[in-house]
Amino acid sequence: MSTTKIGGATLRALSDELAAAVDRASRSLVAIHARPRIAASGVYWRDGIVVAANHTLRKDADIALTMPDGSRGRANVVGRDGGTDLAVLRVESGSSAVVPEFAPDDDLRVGHLMLAVGRPGDEGVTASLGVVSAVGGAWRTWSGGDVDRFVRLDLSIYDGFSGGPLVDASGRVAGINCSALARGLPLAIPSSTVNRVVDALLTRGHVPRGFLGVAMQPVRLPPAMTQRLGLESADAVMITMVDGDSPAERAGLLLGDVVVAIEGNAINEPEDVTAYLGADRVGTTIQLTVVRGGAKMNVSVVVGERQRRKGGEG
Amino acid sequence: MSTLLSAGALLGPAIEELTAQLREVTVRVHTRGRRGEGVGSGVLWTRHGIVVTNAHVARASAATLELWNGERIDAELVARDASRDLAALRIDSRDLPHASIGDARALRVGEIVVAVGHPLGLRGAVSTGIVHAAPHDAPVIRSDVKLAPGNSGGPLATTSGEVIGVNAMIVNGLGVAIASHVVEDFLRRDVFDTLGRGQRGKRVA
Repeated sequence: MSTTKIGGATLRALSDELAAAVDRASRSLVAIHARPRIAASGVYWRDGIVVAANHTLRKDADIALTMPDGSRGRANVVGRDGGTDLAVLRVESGSSAVVPEFAPDDDLRVGHLMLAVGRPGDEGVTASLGVVSAVGGAWRTWSGGDVDRFVRLDLSIYDGFSGGPLVDASGRVAGINCSALARGLPLAIPSSTVNRVVDALLTRGHVPRGFLGVAMQPVRLPPAMTQRLGLESADAVMITMVDGDSPAERAGLLLGDVVVAIEGNAINEPEDVTAYLGADRVGTTIQLTVVRGGAKMNVSVVVGERQRRKGGEG
Repeated sequence: MSTLLSAGALLGPAIEELTAQLREVTVRVHTRGRRGEGVGSGVLWTRHGIVVTNAHVARASAATLELWNGERIDAELVARDASRDLAALRIDSRDLPHASIGDARALRVGEIVVAVGHPLGLRGAVSTGIVHAAPHDAPVIRSDVKLAPGNSGGPLATTSGEVIGVNAMIVNGLGVAIASHVVEDFLRRDVFDTLGRGQRGKRVA
């Protein structure tokens, strides 16, 4: 056989494989009717559990679903996590769907062919093809969610795609697509992060976040003081408010304290402090190094859990 | 043939071959008339010299077609349906290649499709993508191929080289093509029946 003939056969085989991958993914894909105009997508992640993009859900109860077989279902929101823009729904009625096969997170590599699949209504599934354009380490979203890996996609996410699965060429689910976390650029939340959020939402209804009970602002210490205290950077964070009966007050932190380090790592801006307040820190003790009255001192704080706003998101 | 060739090394030549096939049945269409000037692409649809393009490309009763080999041919407009954005042009039937037509209703979401045309004056440009939404009985195919002005009227084909649509427009970044079954219906009703009645003995259907 000539190269051209084998090539043609390879191209047709790839085309068939992609269509089969979409078909496989579609068995786990539901449409969620919880906002005006266009429906959004959701993945039948576990038995009776659908994962969706939080920003696509405008209501919490009695949400209509279009199941993979085209029939109607009903679901209620179990919990939302604004940080990762994920929400979990429990299917109350409707035909069953198939829990997808998941691709290991390590399989996500730059250049891999990926499909974004959506079900933006009752007219069947839609798909777009592209490659993984960047994979990075753990990151924090602008709304404070912890994501295990940064996954940028070079594919188009169309209306109703958010909440749909990122699918590899063999139809395995690698994550949930979302356009609301990076100014409309297509990103995926990897499966490991989705699982962590789903576990938290199912057991507690929200994803816990650490809490100190302070307001902060960036400050620059005078050069002489920076030098005298042996600090690497003059940039630090001043406490501008201490909540009553908060972890910070119990630890004895005062208005005007300047935080220069936590657990020995330099603090240069408020984000450096919030980076220490992930779910796993709740209930643990962290040591803050502060400058008070021109002298360095250490303060131990037991990290509390942030109270959820009434009716708001986690 | 070596079996060591990678898929990546094979796909390039395969798309090249597919493009070459499609270029043979794709023409550049130029019309000038009362409705203004129209430039785009067209598909040599039948072996009887019927060329299909978009209604928004065929704006006059006469057109000049340019074949892939550079030859220019005069064509006459035989039917135009603005509601379906389709037009049929006829050329003197000679030994020209013609497209192999597939059935758009059999397309599956995710399947690879290829568009050939003359976007922005670029001759015989190819772009690839996948079927975004399966048409089933819908009149259009939406795909994520990158189209540009000048692709209008050109073929959208499967990896087997079967033409399953006529590229017509871009909506929300998605390429929209008129499905082959709609084109066939248009030709059956507006072209072959008319020609059959009007020109006895020269029925082309």
